[in-house]
Amino acid sequence: MSTLTRKRTPQQWGLLAISIAVLTVLLFPVYWMVMTSVVPSRELLTSSPPLVPPADSASFDAYGEVLESRPIGLWLWNSTLVTLGTALISIVISTLGGYSLSRFRTKAQQAMGFTLLFSRMLPGTLLIIPVFVIFASAGMINNLWSVILVNVAATVPFTTWLMKGFVDGIPSEIEEAAMIDGCGRLRTLWQVIVPLLRPGLATTFTYACILAWGDFLFARTLMPNPSDWTITVGIASFIGEFSVDWSGLMAAGIMSMVPMLILFVFLEPFLVKGMASGSVKG
Amino acid sequence: MTTDVGLTDVRTQGPPKRRRTRAQRDRLFAYGMLTPTLAAVGLLMAYPIYIAINLSFRGGEIADLQNLGQYPLTLGNYVDVITDPKLLGDIWRSIVYTVGVVVPAFAIGLGLALLLNKTFPGKRIVRPLALLPWAVPGVAVAAAFSWMLDGSFGVINYLLRSVGLIDANVAWLANADTAMTAVIIPTVWKFYPFFTLVLVAALQAIPSDQYEAARIDGAGPWQQFRYVTWPALRAPSALAIVITGVGVFREFDFIFPLTGGGPDDATTTLAVRIYNEAFEYFTFGASAAIGVVTMVIAGALLLAAGRSVREGMN
Repeated sequence: MSTLTRKRTPQQWGLLAISIAVLTVLLFPVYWMVMTSVVPSRELLTSSPPLVPPADSASFDAYGEVLESRPIGLWLWNSTLVTLGTALISIVISTLGGYSLSRFRTKAQQAMGFTLLFSRMLPGTLLIIPVFVIFASAGMINNLWSVILVNVAATVPFTTWLMKGFVDGIPSEIEEAAMIDGCGRLRTLWQVIVPLLRPGLATTFTYACILAWGDFLFARTLMPNPSDWTITVGIASFIGEFSVDWSGLMAAGIMSMVPMLILFVFLEPFLVKGMASGSVKG
Repeated sequence: MTTDVGLTDVRTQGPPKRRRTRAQRDRLFAYGMLTPTLAAVGLLMAYPIYIAINLSFRGGEIADLQNLGQYPLTLGNYVDVITDPKLLGDIWRSIVYTVGVVVPAFAIGLGLALLLNKTFPGKRIVRPLALLPWAVPGVAVAAAFSWMLDGSFGVINYLLRSVGLIDANVAWLANADTAMTAVIIPTVWKFYPFFTLVLVAALQAIPSDQYEAARIDGAGPWQQFRYVTWPALRAPSALAIVITGVGVFREFDFIFPLTGGGPDDATTTLAVRIYNEAFEYFTFGASAAIGVVTMVIAGALLLAAGRSVREGMN
């Protein structure tokens, strides 16, 4: 009791009040999506919409309707496959690459930082034409692997750099000791380094998932067939429609957000630690 | 005898030779581990860039993208693109969009980071909530804002009317004067958490005794920020601004679903123009030429920011 009162000064409650005020503004779009999804369209299409769901008409009907009228489940499943595929491949590639960049001084090391930034500045809209050509000649249009591979390529420069930062944080004496004990390099990496890299793996996984799940351009271009769409392409397909079913669109939007939000809430603590020890430090 | 020879061998040539092979093996291992990264970057970045550049020099009606060799080489696309007065407008709008996103996103991100660096009850819940927009797919963000900014029934009009800032509804996305602001707002919303994340990490790295020392020297909150906090944030801020800036410069996911580049080209940035040239007008050569011009501009901006970036990366 005494520690509690000593810890919680009025100033701290003031900070909490500020935080709540700030969050109210920042998260209003999310609130409005939820609110829209539970109110029937006809009640929303007025010049002064209700700011809280009216108790008598609020319902989750929009979710059921949109699930029936569009293959949302299928799109979510496609997104899940693309996201998991991208994240798992990215983790493996960037752990190997990050370890190499951290422990060995090669010319590639200096080039990598530049490649990271260069890959960020490439207009995706420029790349998709050649990427489309490549996958068309390989007969891989409407193939989820094509989207996975492109997303891996888009993710890997940054995650490799991130992993290098994490490996930098592990003293090399640890693996030297293991190697003196007769452990080969790859086995040392797998048995000694990888377990210590858990925060880095979590950060890389989260980053790759968010990027791949949110991808719109690549999936839209490489997956012309509606049954192969990811959730983002599916959602975009109803933004431009003549009369938008806003409740349904917001319901679909929320369903597209939930998996990433769950992942994010679990892995967010790692993310801050990861950024602190990772690439973007002072 | 033979053992003797062997021994001298080892003593005179062995050790340097063995060290060399060890170094070679290390290098082989280093590059071996890096191969998947380089393959991913090369196959899906370097090769596409090569095709794009090749495409930008091809004339004629390009229909068969898989056999570019059959089309004549020409500088025509670049001449057309550079002499087209629209290009300057596209560049200008890209810059307006980038600056318009990065400045407020950085300000919000910094403010939040300073807040989240303090101790207060409920911080464990506040922090993931504050970073949450980062996890929302760009298209879902676009969908939410297209509804909120709707000209007839959008809640933003309603709220602004309620507080008396506007008298009549504004068709934010359909009006050429407001469309750019209307696409900037959702982009800011998506990008501010990255700044918060980077800056919170940087703030946590500042040893608390530096603040104590500053307090003992009589520094107020502003002076503590000016002389302790800001110096520690400068390099990571610069890097985060450049990374976000080059990303926003070629961003597509918000503008395209919201306006498609309209109305009247008011939100046509270089990224949107590249897409529309290729997939609306099917002028692939011109599209690729604009893409190459965009890369050159972004590269020049990157070089201009080079010093602050190098500081941030080391």
